[in-house]
Amino acid sequence: MNYKLLHIFRNTPFGRETLLQSMYFCKTINAYPVVYIPKSDKFLLYFSNDAVQVDLDRSYLNEPETARVHAEQLFESMGIKPMFYEPKNYTASTLPDISTNFDYLCCPRSVSDLSSKIGLGHLGPKVRRIIKHATFPVLISSPVFKPWLSISVFFGGSENAMQSLTLGLKLAMSAGLPLNIYTLTEKKGEEYYRELIRKKDLESLVDQYTAHWYFYGNKAFDTMLYEVPHDSLIVLGAYGHGIIKEILLGSKMEHIQSTVTNNLLITGPNCTISLQ
Amino acid sequence: MQTIKNIYKTIYYKLFRLDDRLLLIVAGSIAGICSGLAAVALRLSLESVTELLHPLRHYWWAFVLPAVGALLSSLYLEKVSREGAGHGIPEVIYAVSRYGGLLRLRSSYSRLISSFLTISSGGSAGPEAPVVMSGSAIGSNIAKFLGLNDRQRITLVGCGTAGAIAAIFNAPIAGLVFSIEVLLGEWKFVNIIPIAIAAVAGAQVSQTIIPEQVLFNHQPFKMMVVDILPSLGLAVLTALISVLFTKSLRKLGRIAKKSSLPFWGRVIVGGCAVGAIGSVMPVVLGEGYHFIQSMISGTFSMGFFLTFVAIFAKIFATGMTLGWGGSGGIFAPCLVIGSLTGVVFHKALFFLLPSADIASEGAYALLGMTGLISGVMQAPLTGIFLIVEITGGYETILPLILVSSISCTMSHYIEPASYYLKDLIERGQFMRPGTDARILSDLRLNELVETDYTKVSENMVFRDFIEIIKLSKQNFFPVVEDETDIYKGVIQLSTIRRYALEPGMYDMVFLNQVMDTDVITASLEDDLQDVLDSMDLNNMDTIPVVENDRFVGMIAKTRVLDLYRRELIMQTNIQ
Repeated sequence: MNYKLLHIFRNTPFGRETLLQSMYFCKTINAYPVVYIPKSDKFLLYFSNDAVQVDLDRSYLNEPETARVHAEQLFESMGIKPMFYEPKNYTASTLPDISTNFDYLCCPRSVSDLSSKIGLGHLGPKVRRIIKHATFPVLISSPVFKPWLSISVFFGGSENAMQSLTLGLKLAMSAGLPLNIYTLTEKKGEEYYRELIRKKDLESLVDQYTAHWYFYGNKAFDTMLYEVPHDSLIVLGAYGHGIIKEILLGSKMEHIQSTVTNNLLITGPNCTISLQ
Repeated sequence: MQTIKNIYKTIYYKLFRLDDRLLLIVAGSIAGICSGLAAVALRLSLESVTELLHPLRHYWWAFVLPAVGALLSSLYLEKVSREGAGHGIPEVIYAVSRYGGLLRLRSSYSRLISSFLTISSGGSAGPEAPVVMSGSAIGSNIAKFLGLNDRQRITLVGCGTAGAIAAIFNAPIAGLVFSIEVLLGEWKFVNIIPIAIAAVAGAQVSQTIIPEQVLFNHQPFKMMVVDILPSLGLAVLTALISVLFTKSLRKLGRIAKKSSLPFWGRVIVGGCAVGAIGSVMPVVLGEGYHFIQSMISGTFSMGFFLTFVAIFAKIFATGMTLGWGGSGGIFAPCLVIGSLTGVVFHKALFFLLPSADIASEGAYALLGMTGLISGVMQAPLTGIFLIVEITGGYETILPLILVSSISCTMSHYIEPASYYLKDLIERGQFMRPGTDARILSDLRLNELVETDYTKVSENMVFRDFIEIIKLSKQNFFPVVEDETDIYKGVIQLSTIRRYALEPGMYDMVFLNQVMDTDVITASLEDDLQDVLDSMDLNNMDTIPVVENDRFVGMIAKTRVLDLYRRELIMQTNIQ
């Protein structure tokens, strides 16, 4: 299959790092990066039950005359054929509709708040809504280009986590990289989690592709985060809760993304991963 | 938290989801009430600020007021709410056409604020489109909150629209008709009841909050058989004015886009132009309800020539307001221009036939309004029912129907698309639910591609290929390069028959010698309509899909038909 990742290009040094990261991701898993160079500071993503307007900060419109050339140079440096996305439909003249018919989307931690881009700030509300509604996984790249040599799946047993485990397996199969699973046992024994994957008929694949399955006690969350290799792609499931639910229920994903500098690949509640 | 969730689930699933129609009626009335509140809020705030600014209009510098308002409005839209500016209603139609009525939450308030700033300062625009936008967005977001499907969401968008129009004009039937005729474009039983209830809810909200303020007070009108013939003349005139209005709006908008001025510069130029015209001809300023009232009640004091000039001044002022960066709609300007046209026509008629026993000037103003609405929006029923509800009776129904239908037909003949649809049609984005274009746009190529095809190597000898054919049901075989898997061409069984019937050639021919390399291919990025056109043009029943030089699969017309039928049933199914 020809998997495609949509990357919103920013013609800045930071944008170069994230595009390199997207290209590396694609090269590793045999996908194709498709670059969108924004011409206005906002665009719309129409999902099945929501229209998310993404307001970009001004850095996305930086030096438009050199943006394409810079992107092409990066494509060339990675040995990938350049592919650019041009919106076909417009909700208003300055508001293009960006297709959601992609297999992956690369997103910074926030798309409209410059302060939380380079540091590990909180996830922006737009990124949360994208995660919540997207039918594809969202790649939140590390601030600096960082090749990853293994895949780490955070598996907590939920339906979302099962999707992320399936995705981790899929990536491990296509990339040929070792897969590690990290589980916080949360008052349940290891057998409980093994039974879950057995029910989903994933046991043989997990046995075949998983290098290690690490189990941690309930309070060892930060220990677990520290023990994830720094050069590993972390795959995890998230619900993309809004700010109110986050305050009420808390967010493990927010804690993870603000603690580790690894590349994160997030499967939202509407994301369906197939191994085919 | 769990208890709250359980209560919510009980109410939601046990009460509402038992019957989707009940759910739509309840949600629709909420949408109607909310859009009614939005309409009332905008109307009251417009009235109070217009009154507040009225003393300032006597100063020489008052011509800058519309520019200030439009500038604030434009800055608000660009920098604060970050809406892509537009007139609102085309955006709602676009959302209904393409995305099952999905609208942003911010649209439920942003256009209200921006149009308030534009109109209250004197910009020539109407509050109806922003209120419609707001009501539609409220309906859409209620549907989103309740997790409804596309069809139900579209109905709630219609409910919001109907509530808004009904609240502004205290005209629930006009709200219902406008919503279905202009926005949804389909008269379906499943839509009509929730939208009618939403329209009543919107009108009731308006009556409850401002019972004493009927938008247009009037005496009963009496129209007789003698008025039929003049009505025909008025219909032709309103049709011509409608076309002129539509074309001027678009032309002035295009001039603004072409100008080298920054957006704030354009807004200032447009606003000052409107202010300058308004300082000598106040009828062009604001939404103009006050002037409509005076024309209907027969107290409009301008003479024939000035009224005639005012028609063109209002058209120009509306174009300069909306085309050059202000915010608002064309509904109220249509009413003003229509009533001015009616008055001019009546004055001319009276001049030519002073002893003719024709109806009053106010009645002709109403007929002019119908003609303009029907001509510009190409929505004859909206025009008829709006005026019927404003006049509160059916005394004028015959000339209303005549003017409305003739104006609509004539303007449609000259300008086939209404003002709201023109841009969408030009961009190929107007697709009513259940139509061919809409169904095809909803089918994605990756759903249609059949990937279960055996690929063959370009260096394969024909004898080996014969063995593959024996075991396969395929009629097409994609040929790829050995090492790279790059797509090279396709072999169609129908074209290799002569080699297949000569076993002597089996070991002499390689597949790269017999494959078709000039077969048209499609990409997953292509629009299905383009792919089908290409298949028709080349007389193909199946087309290979190639992406990044790799064979992905084939699209067959039979598969398209299967999915087309499924989608058609889904879109037209009454739930």
